[in-house]
Amino acid sequence: MDIAGIPTIALVLILPFLGFLIQSLFGGLVVRKLGPAAGKKVMGALAVTPIALSFALAVMITFQLVGLDPEQRTLEPVVLFNWIELASIHIPFELVVDPLSMTMTLVITGIGALIHLYATGYMAEEKDYTRFFTYLNLFITAMLILVLGNNLALMFIGWEGVGLCSYLLIGFWYHDVNNAKAANKAFIVNRIGDWGFTLGMFMIVAFFAGNADKVAGADSNRWLSYDVLIPNAVNLLQGHPGVATAIALLLFVGAMGKSAQFPLYNWLPDAMAGPTPVSALIHAATMVTAGVFMLNRMSVFFEMTPTGMAVVAIVGAFTALFAALIAFGQTDIKKVLAYSTVSQLGFMFVACGVGAFWVGMFHVITHAFFKALLFLGSGAVIHAMAHDQDMRHYGNLMKYIKITAVTMILGWLAIAGFPLLSGFWSKEAILGAALGNTAAEINGLQVGPALGWLLLVVAALTAAYMTRLTLLTFFGGKEQWRELVPAHGHDAHAHDDSHGHEAHEHNHGHAHEDEHGFFYTDEEMAAKPHEHVHHHELDSHHTPHEVPPSMWVPLAALAALSVLGGFALHYNHTLQHWLVPNGPAFLEPSSVSGAPEGWLHSALLWLSIAAAGIGIAYGFLVYRKGLPKSEADEKDWHPFRKSARDQFGYDATMVEAAVDGGGQIGNFLWKKFDAGLIDGIVNGIAFLAGQFGRLFRVAQTGFVRSYALLMLIGGVALLAWFWYAIAQPGGPKIVNPSAQQTSSATGGQF
Amino acid sequence: MTIGLWHYLALSVFMFTCGSVGVIIRRNPIVIFMCIELMLNAVNLAFLSFARYMPMGNLPVERTVEGVMAGQMMVIFVMAVAAAEVAVGLGIIMAIYRLKENVDIDEMNLMRG
Repeated sequence: MDIAGIPTIALVLILPFLGFLIQSLFGGLVVRKLGPAAGKKVMGALAVTPIALSFALAVMITFQLVGLDPEQRTLEPVVLFNWIELASIHIPFELVVDPLSMTMTLVITGIGALIHLYATGYMAEEKDYTRFFTYLNLFITAMLILVLGNNLALMFIGWEGVGLCSYLLIGFWYHDVNNAKAANKAFIVNRIGDWGFTLGMFMIVAFFAGNADKVAGADSNRWLSYDVLIPNAVNLLQGHPGVATAIALLLFVGAMGKSAQFPLYNWLPDAMAGPTPVSALIHAATMVTAGVFMLNRMSVFFEMTPTGMAVVAIVGAFTALFAALIAFGQTDIKKVLAYSTVSQLGFMFVACGVGAFWVGMFHVITHAFFKALLFLGSGAVIHAMAHDQDMRHYGNLMKYIKITAVTMILGWLAIAGFPLLSGFWSKEAILGAALGNTAAEINGLQVGPALGWLLLVVAALTAAYMTRLTLLTFFGGKEQWRELVPAHGHDAHAHDDSHGHEAHEHNHGHAHEDEHGFFYTDEEMAAKPHEHVHHHELDSHHTPHEVPPSMWVPLAALAALSVLGGFALHYNHTLQHWLVPNGPAFLEPSSVSGAPEGWLHSALLWLSIAAAGIGIAYGFLVYRKGLPKSEADEKDWHPFRKSARDQFGYDATMVEAAVDGGGQIGNFLWKKFDAGLIDGIVNGIAFLAGQFGRLFRVAQTGFVRSYALLMLIGGVALLAWFWYAIAQPGGPKIVNPSAQQTSSATGGQF
Repeated sequence: MTIGLWHYLALSVFMFTCGSVGVIIRRNPIVIFMCIELMLNAVNLAFLSFARYMPMGNLPVERTVEGVMAGQMMVIFVMAVAAAEVAVGLGIIMAIYRLKENVDIDEMNLMRG
């Protein structure tokens, strides 16, 4: 599988990287030379093309894999170069082609290409157009390294690369200090996850290298390569449940950070500060699913530890419930989608935790379809509504933006679990896997069935809050923005600030020149006169307009995938046979059968339809006439909704504990330890030296002549000592040079 | 009486002593410089007289010539260094004079401990 001597899979990776180089090196130049309009067209095309080509190549490779025997679908890794070569460990830069990596590659490049296309329209008025696509192409490269790398070290490089791009893109409009803060939060919270990931990696190396005699293929020292790790894992870890649990949980900490699971989820909602295509691509479809991908890749390690799996499942289920509840308290359309993403990621982790790893991937794929669609649709709505993100200002948009509305309604039905749409199939698979599971257990307590019931409730909640979003945005008969008082923009700021740093879409703010510093605070942003002409604040005379084709074509494509994708992958167990033709490596197949026993087996289908139905019905009941009075003003909200808005106090507590607590620890260390102990030692030594010097300072009279006298005395004393020494019997003698000449053949010194 | 090595050395010692006593007792830096010059010249005289009256012993002739040349060359070096030293030293004295309008060496005690 070569093209012009380069392995095709390498080309899949190299093309986005080339795109990144072109954007970063020539982007500014081209836009300057051709003028903004034409330059942006050219650079936009150059950004989309590599990703689309990568997708085409990935499709080619996938078809070749499909043609192979299921047993032989994991190809020999393609080694591009030797990356790290030490005596005890060897890490080549190697790419793996197997069903799992190709599935992810298809999602990344396929959805990535659509979102790139969408972004060419969405960012068209952006000054830093090529910087945006530089980051976006780099992101695709890093994400492909993450999924295609054949060892954990490469996965980690990709892991960090996508983290970097996420940071850069969240803070894309960095002039607003809130965006910069959100970017920092994402980066810092992810460091906690990386801590777990690296420790897990170190443990794997230590454990495998320490038991090298039992590892098949140990002589190559590739301790992190999957083709060494995975075949040996069962054999090696079987007698060491503690080690297996530790490795699994440490890796899961990494997954928690990247995939926004409970203790570490709070960066993802803030990450909505980035441009909407970024939210769709990175914070919904691809990067945040890296944790699920990692669990799939290392599934054998998790299968070895029922406790570890139970922890994964419990964390996932709790996150799903928690985030779904928070979503009810959000008014920002992107925030609702963000919490919905966190919640859906929780679903995926439950699937992995109960051993049905492929089901987790199934939901990754369908979620990528419908959540990317919903995010892009919300971007189109925001675009149409003069960058106002508050759903309470929408209403009846169906009339104005038909294409966006129809596609988004399909996305809503897909995520709500409407029968036959994609979310329905993957969610039902997750519920079935959880309810029928007997693998995940803590001390003999099986957690699967309980979590399955919990997820059924969450599925209903999902349907309800997504119905709320759809009805408030597109229906309700009342155009809420008509009632806006002119000064609302500042009011919105004021009560947005009450829940932490709300992300403001500052699409209109980026054009400000920064004259007096790097960042603007909120007050400065508000105080600045708005120079821009092409945007205006949302006011009562606003008329929403449909988005250009470059934006609705991806919407339509994703809508088609959201409708049909789930069934296509579910039909005939296509995805299951593709990803895991032989079932789990270690677990009893019956324990992760994916279907519960007894009456539940036939009832499951109806239960999941009922959950979706109840949620949608509840939504219609409350929101059919648009915004209810009780939700209009935050002061009148139900206490539950208020605490949901504030994430039940979790984020504030964490920020207080971590940031303020960390600040206090730092202050304490500075004042007591650094200023007290360290400086005390240093200053004490200096003081002692000073005291010692004080003894001798009397000798420094400052009289030059006394120094001269002392020198003379010293010189005379030295001479006197020489004389004395020479005069001593047995002391040094003055040697006659001629005598030396005769005694030494080499000749004396003159 | 023939003038020999010892006479030159005696003169050299006398000059050196005069110079060092002058350095120690005088307070005028110009005079101190002159005394330093005196000491340097005493040393030069010693070099030259050793070069001239070098004890030959039974050294080969070439070694003797080398010794003579070395002694004389050293004098040239000393003179060059002395000239440099005077240039720098007088510059310092000028600077101090401009600063304090006084060149009494005992007043220059900024380095007192």
